[in-house]
Amino acid sequence: MDGFAKYLARRFLQFILVIFLGVSLAFLITHLSPVDPVEQSVSLMTNFGATDPRSVELLRAALSELYGLQGSFFEQYLAFWGRVLHGDFGPSLSSFPTPVMSLIMGALPWTVGLLTLSVLIAWCLGNLLGALAGYFRSNILLKLSGAAVMALHPVPAYIIGLLLLLTFGFVWPVLPISGGAQMNLQPGFSLVFIGSVIQHGLLPALTLVLVGIGSWFISMRSLVSNIVTDDHVVYAELGGVSSATIFSQYVARNALLPQLTGLALSLGNVFGGAVITEFLFNYPGVGRLLIQGIYSGDYSLVLGVTTMSIVAVAVAVFIIDLVYPLIDPRVRLG
Amino acid sequence: MMFKSLLAAILLVAASILPAAAQDFIAGIPRNQTLIIQGPPAQNAEWFNLWAPGGGASNNGLQQLTADTFWFINPDGTGDAAWTNALAADRPQYNADFTEMTVKLKDGIFWSDGVPFTADDVVYTVETQIAHPGMGWSAPFKVNVDRVEATDPHTVVFHLKAPNSRFHTLFTVRWNAAWIMPKHVFEKVADPLSFNNNPPVSLSAYVLHSYDKAGNWAIWKLRDDWQRTSIGMGLKEPPQVKYVVYRNAGNPDARVIEQLNHNLDVINDIAPEGMFTIARKAGDQMAAWFPGFPFAHPDPTLPSVLFNHQVKPFDNADVRWALALMIDIRSVAMGAYRGAANLAALSTPPTGIAVPDYYEPMQDWLKGFELNTGTRTIKPYDPTIAEQVAALVRPQWGDSIPSDPAKLKSMFGFGWWKQDVQAATELLQKAGFTKQGNQWMMPDGKPFAIRLMVEGDNVPTLARAGSIIAQQWSMQGIKTTIDVAGPTNGQRLGAGDFEAAIYWSVETWGGHPDLSFFLDSYDSAYIAEPGKTQPPRNLQRWKSEKLDAIIEANRKVAFDSPQVVDLGRDYLKLAVEEMPFIPLMAYNKFAPFDTTYWTGYPSAADPYSASGPFWSNLRYMVVALKPNPNAPKP
Amino acid sequence: MFSILRDLLRFNVEFLVGFVLTALIFLFAAAHFFAPYPDTAIYLLPPDMPPSAEFWLGTTSRGQDVFWQMSAAIWNTMTFGLVVMILSRIVALAVGMLSGYLGGKADQALMTINDTLIALPNIPILLLVYFVMRDQMTWPLLAVTAALLGWNYDARLIRSVTLSLRNREFTRHAVFAGMSVPQVLVRQHLPYVMPVVFFTAMNNLIWAIGLEVTLSVLGFSDVNRPTVGGMIYWANQHQAAVSGIWWWLVFPIVAVVLLFLGLFLLAISINEYIDPRSRLSRMGG
Repeated sequence: MDGFAKYLARRFLQFILVIFLGVSLAFLITHLSPVDPVEQSVSLMTNFGATDPRSVELLRAALSELYGLQGSFFEQYLAFWGRVLHGDFGPSLSSFPTPVMSLIMGALPWTVGLLTLSVLIAWCLGNLLGALAGYFRSNILLKLSGAAVMALHPVPAYIIGLLLLLTFGFVWPVLPISGGAQMNLQPGFSLVFIGSVIQHGLLPALTLVLVGIGSWFISMRSLVSNIVTDDHVVYAELGGVSSATIFSQYVARNALLPQLTGLALSLGNVFGGAVITEFLFNYPGVGRLLIQGIYSGDYSLVLGVTTMSIVAVAVAVFIIDLVYPLIDPRVRLG
Repeated sequence: MMFKSLLAAILLVAASILPAAAQDFIAGIPRNQTLIIQGPPAQNAEWFNLWAPGGGASNNGLQQLTADTFWFINPDGTGDAAWTNALAADRPQYNADFTEMTVKLKDGIFWSDGVPFTADDVVYTVETQIAHPGMGWSAPFKVNVDRVEATDPHTVVFHLKAPNSRFHTLFTVRWNAAWIMPKHVFEKVADPLSFNNNPPVSLSAYVLHSYDKAGNWAIWKLRDDWQRTSIGMGLKEPPQVKYVVYRNAGNPDARVIEQLNHNLDVINDIAPEGMFTIARKAGDQMAAWFPGFPFAHPDPTLPSVLFNHQVKPFDNADVRWALALMIDIRSVAMGAYRGAANLAALSTPPTGIAVPDYYEPMQDWLKGFELNTGTRTIKPYDPTIAEQVAALVRPQWGDSIPSDPAKLKSMFGFGWWKQDVQAATELLQKAGFTKQGNQWMMPDGKPFAIRLMVEGDNVPTLARAGSIIAQQWSMQGIKTTIDVAGPTNGQRLGAGDFEAAIYWSVETWGGHPDLSFFLDSYDSAYIAEPGKTQPPRNLQRWKSEKLDAIIEANRKVAFDSPQVVDLGRDYLKLAVEEMPFIPLMAYNKFAPFDTTYWTGYPSAADPYSASGPFWSNLRYMVVALKPNPNAPKP
Repeated sequence: MFSILRDLLRFNVEFLVGFVLTALIFLFAAAHFFAPYPDTAIYLLPPDMPPSAEFWLGTTSRGQDVFWQMSAAIWNTMTFGLVVMILSRIVALAVGMLSGYLGGKADQALMTINDTLIALPNIPILLLVYFVMRDQMTWPLLAVTAALLGWNYDARLIRSVTLSLRNREFTRHAVFAGMSVPQVLVRQHLPYVMPVVFFTAMNNLIWAIGLEVTLSVLGFSDVNRPTVGGMIYWANQHQAAVSGIWWWLVFPIVAVVLLFLGLFLLAISINEYIDPRSRLSRMGG
C-alpha cells in the first residue's frame, strides 16, 4: 500500500504541474492578441443598422466600462488565476453577456460523451483485433481485417469524416449530418432522446473510431507478437494450457499495460481529432465552440475553451493513472 | 462469447435508433406546417433581450418574428408600395422646422400575453434607454430626444433637441430598427441591461415555442390571437406557416445537402457553385430571386474598393481613377460570382428604387461623362458590359440567358468603366508617377505597392474579387498583396488601419430613394483624425466641400420630398467625378428556397418582401407563403 | 549505411514499397519548379474542367491546373513537415539522450517536464497561437510552434534506448578513455539511436503533415500559399464536394494518403529491422 500512496502522490503532483504550466501557457499566448474586444463589439453592433456617429462614441465609452480590461500584466495574470479557480472566464464577446463558462458547460457533455465512447471503442476494438492478429498469425480473416485497419491508419481524420458525411448523408441519406439530437426534443433520460443522441452521434463517433483504431491495432499486434516468444508463454504452451487461457491471461493482460500508458499519452492528440470532427458534423461540442470563437474573434471564449480543454485532458490522464495500479500489481509493491 | 456480446451490443444500438429514425424531422411538429430557415451559428441561447448590446441584432427569429416598431421599408420595393405602416397608423408627421415628430399608433394591438400595446410602451422604450446608457438605442435617443410624451393612448409626440428631418428613420426597419419594449415586463426589472427576457413576450404574429439550450435552434409558433398584431391586421387570409424554425445548418456543403434532402427551406447564403448544384439537382423544386442564372438576390449594399484617403497617394483622385481603369470588371464578375454579379458604376446599389430613380435616368449622363487623363479626354463608361458578361456565361448556361438588352441589364448591371490601361498610365503620369520597366514608382521614388484588405471567410465572394483585382493591378506594375483580416476586419476598417480594402461603405434603404441612410455620416464634421476610430459609414474618410453642401441641403428637405432624388443625383455625379471608392457591384446573395413544402417566395418578378433570414422584413414573406399541395403527407 | 539500405530494399518488401511511394511523391512535388504558371495565380485557365488530355487532373473552380497546383501544394506541405520533423528531432535527441545518459535528478527533472508537455492538447494550443498571431502567422512560425509540441513522445523512446546503452561495456570504455559527455553521446551512442530516430521521424512527419492539413482545412493558415490543406480549404469554399468537382478533392487526398502510406511503411519496416526478434522471425525463426 505504501507504494500505492507514493505513486498516487507523484501522479497528483504531475497533474497539478500540467494544469499550472498549461494554463500559464494559455494566458501568455492570449496576451499577445491584437483583437480589441470593445472595438469588436462596436463593429458587430453597427454592422447592419444605421448609426449616428455621435451615438457610436457613446456606445464605445459605455462598453469599455462594462468589459473592464485594466491593470498591468502581472495583475492580469493573477486576476486570471483567480478567475480560473472560480471557473469564471467572463462574458463571451460574441454571445454577450452569456458567461463563457456556461457556454462551455453546455458543450462539454457532448464532447466528453463523444470522445469517451469513441476512444473506448477504438481502444478496445483495436487492442482486441491486434492481440488476435498477433497471436493467431496465420488466420486469413485476421490478416485481411489487419490490412483494412492499417490502410485507414494514414488517412487524416478530416478525410475520413468527409467520406462518411458524403456517403451516409448525401449519396445514401440515412443518417443525420448535423446537430447533437433531433430538434424540439427535451433533453432528459428518455429512450427517445437517448436514441436520437445515438443516431446523431453515430457518424462523428464512427469517424473517430476509424481514425484511432489503426494505431492501437498495430502497437498491440507487435507487442503480442513479442510476448508470444517470451519464456513464460512458451512454457505454458508446452505445459498444455488452453490457447484461450494463454491468450487472455498470459499474453493480452501483459500487453494491455503499455497500451494503457499509451492511452493516457495519446489523449492530447485525440482531442484534436474531436475538434475537426465536430466542425465537420456541426456537433455541439467544445471543439466547434473553439472554432466558432476563433472565427468571430471572441477572445474570452477562445481562452476559456483552451484552458478548460487543458484541464479536461489533464483530469482524464489522471483518471487513467488511477486505474493503472489496479491492473499493474508492481505499482502497489513500490 | 465475445462475438455474441458484440452482436448483442449492435442490436441494442440499432433498436434504440429505429424508433428515432421513424419520427418526423422535428419532434412533435408537423413538417407541412413548418418553415425551416437557416439560422445563425449557435450562440447566446438563453438571451432574448433585444435592447442589450450584443442582443440588439438577435438573428434566431427574435427580431424577425416577434419584435415590432412603427414603419418598414421593403428593400426590394419601389414607390409607395415599399412603405408599410406597422405599429404606426400613418406616416410620421413633423412640424415645420423638424423639431417635433408626432406618431399616431394603430388601435387593437396586443402583446402576446394579452396586455394591450399603447403609447406608454413607446415612451417607456425611449426614456429607459436614455436612462440606461449602453443599451442598443441609448445613444441615438440621448443625442436626439429632449423629451417624449404620450398625448393619448395612441399618440406619441417626440420633442427633439435639434432639427432632424430623418429622426423617424430610427423607427423605420430596413434590416432592423429601434424595437418597442414591453413596459409591463421591463418595469419589474432592476437592470434592463442584464435581464435576459426569457421567455420573451411578442408584439408580432409569432411567439417563442421552444429553443435549444446550446443555441442550435429556436422554434417560433403562430400566436392564436395573431389578428391582434400590426402584421395580422393587414392580412386577408390567416398565415399558413404555423411554425418557424431557425436552425444552425452547419457548413455550406451541409446546407446544400440538407436542402436537397428537404430539411431546410430557406438558405441565407451559399457559394455560387452550391447554388448552381441545387439548381441542377432540385430543378423545379427550387425557387430563387431569378428563375434561372444568375439566381442571386442583390442586397442594397455596395461592395467597393475602399481607399483610405488619409494614406498617400489615395488622396489623389487621378490615382483612384487610374486604379479603377486598370480593372477588368468582367474577370472580377466571372471570378467572384461565376458571372452572376450585378455590376454598379454609380455609388448606390442597383436594387429596388435605385433602378428607376437613379440608374435609368442617369445613363445618358454616364455615357457622356468625360475624364481628363492629362493628355486627352476620354469617355470611360461602357454601357454594353451586360452583353459582354452574358456572352461569357452563355457557353455554360445556354438558352437560359436572354438576349433582350433590358433584361440583361437587370441581371448583370447597366454598365461599368471600360478597362483602359493606356488612360490609367496617363493618369498616373499626371499624378507624378513614373514607370521603371514594369514597376510603377511613386513621385517620391518609392515603388508603388498596395496592401488590399479583405474580410475572408464570412464574405468569401468579396475575398475572391479582391484576389482578382490584386492580380490585375500586380500584372500592370503595382505589386498588390491580399491581407486577410478575418474578425479584425471591422476593427481595422474603423481604425483606418488599411490602405485599400474590399468592403462596403454605402448601404441604402433599397425601397426609398433618400440616400441619408449612409450619406449623412459622410459629413466632414465626423471625419476622425488619423489613428482615431472613424464611425461608420465614411470608412474611406472622404472629405469634400461639395459633398458637405449636398448633405446640408438634404437635411433641410423632408424625407419624401422629390428634391431628395435630385440631391441624390448630385451626389452620384460627384462620386463619379472624384471616385472616392470604386463601386463594384450589388452584394449578391445566393439564397435558394425549397418549394417542396412552401411556395410563393419573393422573386425579381414579385418583390413583395425581403427574403433574407436575418432581415426583419422577412416576416412579410413568412405570413404570405402558401403550402405546396403536392407536399409529402406526414 | 548504404549497404543496409541496399539490403532493406532487396529483401524487405514493405521498405521497398514505402521507399518507392515516397520517392514518387517527392519527385512529383519537385516538378512544380518547372510549372508553366506561377503557383499563386488564379483564374488563368477555364474553371471546373474535368480531367482530360489537356488538363491531366482537371482544373479547379479558381481557374488553376490541378496537376501543377498539387505539385506545388505537396512541396510546400512536405517542406513544412520536414522543418517540423528536423526541429523536433533535434530537441527530442538532445533531451532524450541527455536524460537517458545523465540519469538521476537531471533525468527526473527532464522527464517531468516531458510528461507535463505530453498531456497538453496540441490542437487547442496551436489554434490559440494562430488566433493571437493571425496576421503575423507565417508558416515558419507555425512550424516552430508545432515542433515545440511534437518532441515529447519521441524523447522518451530515445531516452529508453540511451538508458540501455549507458550500462554497456563500450560506454564504460569510452568514459575511461576520457571522452566527454557530448563526445560519448555523439560518437558512441548516436549510431545506435539513429534507427529509432528514423522511425520516430517518419511518424512525426506524418503527424506534422496531418496537422498542416487540419489547420489549413479550417482556414487557419496563409490560404494564398498552395498547400494540400489549402487546396481542400478552397475546394470547400467553392463547394466542390456537392458540386461534383470531385477531381479537386480526390487527387490531393489520394496523394496525401499515398505519401502517408509510403512514410508509414518505411517507418514500420525500419522498426522491424531494429528489433532483432522480428528480424529473426522474418527469416523464419
